[in-house]
Amino acid sequence: MPAPLSRAAAIVGAAEANEIGFSETPITALQLHIEAIKNVSDQTGIPLSRIEGVFSTGWSTELCEHLGITPKYIDTTAVGGCSFEMHVHHALAAIYSGIIDVALISHGENGHSARKLGSGGGNYGRGAGAASPAAEMTMAYGLGSAPSNYAHAMVRHMHRYGNTSEDYAHIAKVTRDWATLNPRAAMYSKEKHPFGGPITVEQVQESRMITWPLTILHCCMVVDHGGAVIVASPKVAASLSTKPVWIAGAGESMSHGNMLEMGDFTKTSARYSAEAAYTMAGLGPSDMEMAQIYDSFTITAAITAEMLGLAPLGEGHSLWKDGRAAPGGDLPINTNGGGLSFNHSGMYGMPLLIEAYRQLSGTAEDGVNGDKGKQQSARTCVVNGTGGSLSTTGTLVLVSDDD
Amino acid sequence: LAYSKPIPKPGTHTQPFWEGTKNGKLMLPKCDDCSHVHWYPRHICPHCHSTNLSWIEASGQGTIHTFAVQHMTFGPWAEEAPFVTAYIDLNEGDRMLTVLRGVDPEKPEDIQIGSAVVVEFEQANEDVSIPFWRVVEEG
Repeated sequence: MPAPLSRAAAIVGAAEANEIGFSETPITALQLHIEAIKNVSDQTGIPLSRIEGVFSTGWSTELCEHLGITPKYIDTTAVGGCSFEMHVHHALAAIYSGIIDVALISHGENGHSARKLGSGGGNYGRGAGAASPAAEMTMAYGLGSAPSNYAHAMVRHMHRYGNTSEDYAHIAKVTRDWATLNPRAAMYSKEKHPFGGPITVEQVQESRMITWPLTILHCCMVVDHGGAVIVASPKVAASLSTKPVWIAGAGESMSHGNMLEMGDFTKTSARYSAEAAYTMAGLGPSDMEMAQIYDSFTITAAITAEMLGLAPLGEGHSLWKDGRAAPGGDLPINTNGGGLSFNHSGMYGMPLLIEAYRQLSGTAEDGVNGDKGKQQSARTCVVNGTGGSLSTTGTLVLVSDDD
Repeated sequence: LAYSKPIPKPGTHTQPFWEGTKNGKLMLPKCDDCSHVHWYPRHICPHCHSTNLSWIEASGQGTIHTFAVQHMTFGPWAEEAPFVTAYIDLNEGDRMLTVLRGVDPEKPEDIQIGSAVVVEFEQANEDVSIPFWRVVEEG
């Protein structure tokens, strides 16, 4: 008997770039992608605005940005020449599960032209030939590190809502308070790190300026981390001695890659990924008893809290300032000490997952990963990761086995 | 004095822009079908997905959308720090990144979002002139 996925989706069109082979004029891989995408859209009559899932060997962010679309399923599996068959497999599963109806799988590679164009640098999967046009038009202006970008969003958010940088400093202070309850946190105590232990809002504001208005204590650390989780079927879960934490909802989105393309500097695509996750879960922001939010910078946490519906627009910081997110508050956030004071290695999504699992499985206060007071009673938790320059977002709604 | 900062390498579809900057003109891509101007230059209109695109000469005027002051940077720009970076809302639509001129990086509270700016060009080498934006004096 065929599996349930069998015939759950079909390939409905296929096209190529305008000129392929030994191109007379050197062509970039990006242009080959875009021409093929335009042609398959024309062939099928499916407008590009209807594309919901984008599958490519590492190109999906740039393709979506270039096309100006906001997908809800993003795949960049790049394992060699067979990747595209795998993309079809993944698209089949995504369509079968009801997450998307229309998937785009795209390829562009300029093996011939690249030799003429030379290297232009670029990301994994891009291929040789040229920098992205976004990089070409922004590389002259001295940006590079994450704070050099994120500070622009903070200034716009302050301007739009009449906030001061001190408002956001409360996020760093409260998150540090959480870190003092976590022996594994890099900033747990003065004994563990000279700059560890409790901090004040004034200390946050007076610390070294990185990119105004972000001082160093508004910024996450860059340290070492390794982590892993296992996801399994209910049947397997029932056979284990560990407590399951159920994935009630999940969503993903992106709005841009380069910050140049961030239309509204006060909002991220978490508003879309959260909506998808809440809808899948049949739960809403008011049902969330805890949040684990990527806090690369204080501004990231503030905006994300707003996007997740945990606070009104412009008032995300008030969750921390008013003590609701703090130890003893009614909506604990970043109970491990966050990327600001627990650990941030560059990509903080895994620590978010681990802390959410520990909290919802009742293992957050074990003397190693938590002191007395770290374990919360929350049965629901919204988890949100942010990638790039406030570019990409993934949201999960997790619930405990007791709920 | 030789230009010491990173210099963009003109791409395969962006020559009209770089030809423009060499001649003191700000050229922007515009869609022939939906009339939207977009930035950065694309192979397809990000608004209506038409591929009928043309280049227009822009006014070279805009306003500050947001900004930041770079104190800790890397590479050739580090010796300039602190300096102000800004995103500029172009009068024709869409947005550009720049290092903002005509402002004091030590007084960020004096820099106003919405202030008028004009473009100017700095020759980096014989092929590339780079646009920078400068705040227009009040009054």
